[in-house]
Amino acid sequence: MTEHAAVEAVGLGKRYGSKWALRDCSLEIPSGSVTALVGPNGAGKTTLLQLAVGLSRPSAGSVSVLGHSPLTDARSLLPRVGFVAQEHPLYRGFTVSDTLKLGRKLNPSWDEGVALARIEHLGLPLGQKVGQLSGGQQAQIALTLALAKRPEVLLLDEPVASLDPLARREFLQSVMEAVAETGMTVILSSHIVADLERVCDHLVILSQARTQLVGPIDEIVASHRLLTGPRTDPASVERVHDVIRESHTERQTTLLVRANGHVYDSNWQLHEVDLEEIVLAYLGYGGPNGTGRASSREAVA
Amino acid sequence: MFWASWRLQRTETLIAAGILALIAALLVPTGLNMASAYHHDGLSACLGQNPSDACDQAVHGFAARFDGLKNLLAWLTLVPGVIGVLFAAPFILELENGTTRLAWTQSITRRRWITNKLAIIVAAALVAAVVMTLLMAWWHAPLVRLDGRMENSIYDAEGVVPIGYTLFALGLALAVGVVWRRTVPAVIVGFVGYFAVRIFFDTWLRQRIVSPVTATWLDQPSPGARGAGPNLDHAWVISQGPSDKLGHALSLTASPCVRSLGSHSQAVSGDCLAQHGGGYMHAVYEPASRFWTLQGVETGIFAGAALAMILFAAWWTHQRAA
Repeated sequence: MTEHAAVEAVGLGKRYGSKWALRDCSLEIPSGSVTALVGPNGAGKTTLLQLAVGLSRPSAGSVSVLGHSPLTDARSLLPRVGFVAQEHPLYRGFTVSDTLKLGRKLNPSWDEGVALARIEHLGLPLGQKVGQLSGGQQAQIALTLALAKRPEVLLLDEPVASLDPLARREFLQSVMEAVAETGMTVILSSHIVADLERVCDHLVILSQARTQLVGPIDEIVASHRLLTGPRTDPASVERVHDVIRESHTERQTTLLVRANGHVYDSNWQLHEVDLEEIVLAYLGYGGPNGTGRASSREAVA
Repeated sequence: MFWASWRLQRTETLIAAGILALIAALLVPTGLNMASAYHHDGLSACLGQNPSDACDQAVHGFAARFDGLKNLLAWLTLVPGVIGVLFAAPFILELENGTTRLAWTQSITRRRWITNKLAIIVAAALVAAVVMTLLMAWWHAPLVRLDGRMENSIYDAEGVVPIGYTLFALGLALAVGVVWRRTVPAVIVGFVGYFAVRIFFDTWLRQRIVSPVTATWLDQPSPGARGAGPNLDHAWVISQGPSDKLGHALSLTASPCVRSLGSHSQAVSGDCLAQHGGGYMHAVYEPASRFWTLQGVETGIFAGAALAMILFAAWWTHQRAA
């Protein structure tokens, strides 16, 4: 597609008053990827996406989308970026058809065919007021507005957080269909990991205003291992590998490590870990007896 | 963009049109009635220099008949404030509901969105203000021919000041609203602020922005004589009363020349006043010829303040809101 990364942040930070909502964020999200932006509420996910789409202004560092600054190149960049904000704001007094007209009037690259096909597929009556539709239908309308723009980069902020499981599945299905058709880059934020694993190929973990982990999901899963062994001090493991989480019972020690190469120590039993567990470990949830370490770690990128 | 802006303030525009239609429904029948009474009483013939007694009577009768209505309709001076804050609402509502996050992530820049939306809001408010002013001017016409249009209750609805008032209320509600991001409180603050500033202008500032004329003249108490004083016809008389030669007001109650005739009326002896250095009249007034000067200055102040507040709202929204 382009030689530029879809989104590139360098030392990006945003401060509200004295509190940093996002700090020292450096990452590169490759074109064509579908990236999950994961973190608890208040971790800085919304801030990062709003900075990327130019809704807010960085306090430190910079962010570029498709090689352009969202602030200074807004005019040329905006038509290439689709955005669905948290809670998918829409004009509630508009009918579905008014909403499409709004999209058509405000977007030169608007594809009416895409919009109408989606509305028809969803079975939404054009004359219906948007405010009277269900949350799932409203989310789909917001997505339609973003998709009919024919964006190269699609940013979705907590698109499924407020939806029931069925609507959630349908929404993500719509996103996947659009990706399959157009090959666009998608970044979607969520605090629900399970949904994203099926959809995404890249992962960014944000916690406490900092990036904790950035990379392709298959590499992340491949490099993380759960080690169990007799109770011991993990110092020997730590010399070679990154220990993300350690937990101890009376007789047993369990470590979640990001392995740098193979783990050769026969004292340990190796287990595969799934993505959700890795994410939880980075977010500082240490399991029953665990001590999360992620919260004190610097960005691992 | 034009369609979007228009569609987003359609409700407010319809409400404004409804308000104007209601006012028209009130003004048109009473106005027609007043105009026909004016012609029927032959009042236009009474506008000359020396009206007859019959004329005086007819004018008084007319005034007595329509004064109540005139005073009632003086409340319509609140309408420019209502129209102003009404059109500020759709802009603030977008910030409150967060729909700016939708609008600003379409393909148009935030700057263009703000400019376009504010321009259409201001234009709609201006149209409503002009319609309102024309309606009131038509209704007032007979009263203006008799008494001029310098009196507060008429002056406030005439000329160009209602446009300044409307813009001021609009700007105030916008400025408060973009910072507060709550539509209803901003609209209330805008309207109350508008009302307060208007009262301040009507009762204190207006008579000070263009220095009024002061005149002192020898009063001729002889009946029939129209006096040697200035022509106060149709003028806005701020104060008027007996004075000494230098224009210092005389207190009638303390004067030995006043003879009480019962509890409510007094007789003043002109000769006596003359002997005591009085017998003069003093008036502070704005002559009718200053109507447009006063209107211009006042409109300039209101519209200037409005412009500053609208620009502030635009700047704040562009810089601060996300």
